[in-house]
Amino acid sequence: MATLLIVDDEVNQRKLYQEELSEEGYQIRLARNGKEALDSISENSPDLVVLDIRMPVMDGLEALGKIIGKERNIPVIIHSAYSSYKDDFISWAADDFVLKSSDLTELKRKIRALLEKKRA
Amino acid sequence: MKTVTSLIMAGGRGERLYPLTRDRAKPAVPFGGIYRIIDFTLSNCINSGMRHIYVLSQYKSLSLSRHIQLGWNILSGTLGEYVTVVPAQQRINEDWYKGTADAIFQNIYLLQKQTPDMALILSGDHIYKMDYRELIHFHMMKGADVTVAAVEMDKNLSNQLGVIEVDADFRIKGFQEKPDHPQTVPSKPDKILASMGVYVFNTEIMVKRLIEDAKRGTEHDFGKNVIPAMVESGDRAFAFSFVDERGETSYWRDVGTVEAYFEASMDLVSVCPLLNLYDASWPIHTYHAPSPPAKTILDESSEGGRRGAAYESLIAGGAIISGGEVRRSIISANVRVDSHARVEDSILLDGVRVKEGAKIRKAIVDKYSEIPEGMTIGYDLKEDMKNFTVTESGIVVVSKGFRLR
Repeated sequence: MATLLIVDDEVNQRKLYQEELSEEGYQIRLARNGKEALDSISENSPDLVVLDIRMPVMDGLEALGKIIGKERNIPVIIHSAYSSYKDDFISWAADDFVLKSSDLTELKRKIRALLEKKRA
Repeated sequence: MKTVTSLIMAGGRGERLYPLTRDRAKPAVPFGGIYRIIDFTLSNCINSGMRHIYVLSQYKSLSLSRHIQLGWNILSGTLGEYVTVVPAQQRINEDWYKGTADAIFQNIYLLQKQTPDMALILSGDHIYKMDYRELIHFHMMKGADVTVAAVEMDKNLSNQLGVIEVDADFRIKGFQEKPDHPQTVPSKPDKILASMGVYVFNTEIMVKRLIEDAKRGTEHDFGKNVIPAMVESGDRAFAFSFVDERGETSYWRDVGTVEAYFEASMDLVSVCPLLNLYDASWPIHTYHAPSPPAKTILDESSEGGRRGAAYESLIAGGAIISGGEVRRSIISANVRVDSHARVEDSILLDGVRVKEGAKIRKAIVDKYSEIPEGMTIGYDLKEDMKNFTVTESGIVVVSKGFRLR
């Protein structure tokens, strides 16, 4: 079973992910900000990270830079409500960028595709 | 108009220049009496019309930062021009830069606000005069993703160098590390191309390739990793041969060792130096503390009289040759050479005092050192080793602030 690390500061958003993505058969780990995400990754590397950008303590872009900087090749999907972050060079280091919506179909499709690519 | 931002890597430790790099990074090592090594790259930028310049420092950066702050505050912020020193900030990683590519990757946010069309990646370690506009023009004409500036070297040096393999159009085909049978320059069978560590990239592709490199466990070096990977994957990588208008190899020196530094310095005191500092169309800017003119004093004609004189030498402002004799040497600002002292084939950096009767030859004396009365340096290397660094070829290096205790 693939393990996903979901990083989002919004409690309802985390609940939504937890329900919908575990239904898909993934094991879900949660983190509330970039710093918790990095701690979680160094404890145990997940198969994929879904990363929000605007978060307190440490935002998603800083966390992404640090994930890359450690040469950890974990697929990362940025899931943000703001498409303007695509102009930020560090966001290019993510494997995909999905705009936030209450419908997770697009996100689920991208997760599947990246996990398949990783297995290949 | 296409926009270019210059990024100068100035974090080099310069270990083989020790002890000149004991207290400063290699780009801050003084050169030619009044300059520091980085002045050549910075002057190239300014003279080429590049006025968006970041200097990436890390190791022992204090004297570098101070020099740039004092001497290079010459652009107009109002016009959006800048020379900005960027210390290592650990924004991404909590280490020193792992390699040249990592140094740029860690600072990639610098290019974000006004994403330039191209990034000019430079090293602050080298001495040369180059119009980067020619390189950039070549890069655009070729429709390149990246262009590597290269110097032509004699073919028989190939087993000491990394050689760039190019086709007839100067597109890079591959690299050879210290080959015995190198690929030569198109139409120059006795020359090979060696990288200068100067690159021009289209910004977007550079960002993408740096991210890919950051994710791999490489040395994160442009020359060893990023450019070879680009060539491999079919990106358009070209080599620009740095030659003058007659097609002859242009002057370029790494001065990475004490020997190379000494030799490049001594070239300057020859009648027609390879490096022309007198070319008004290509001024080398630097920082100079205000100082009075250089002066020689005493001209006693009596037998054994004190006579201050300098022959075949460069002498910076504030120096006083006071009854001593200087030959084939570089005398930096505020140096004093006292009566009956003799300085030959040597480089004296700022504020050095050579006291009465001392004799120095084939030596580099770092700033503010005091050579006591009657001491000899460069005459008995075994004795010199007790106090100083002596290189294999017998150059004595006196560390900054030396005092006999």
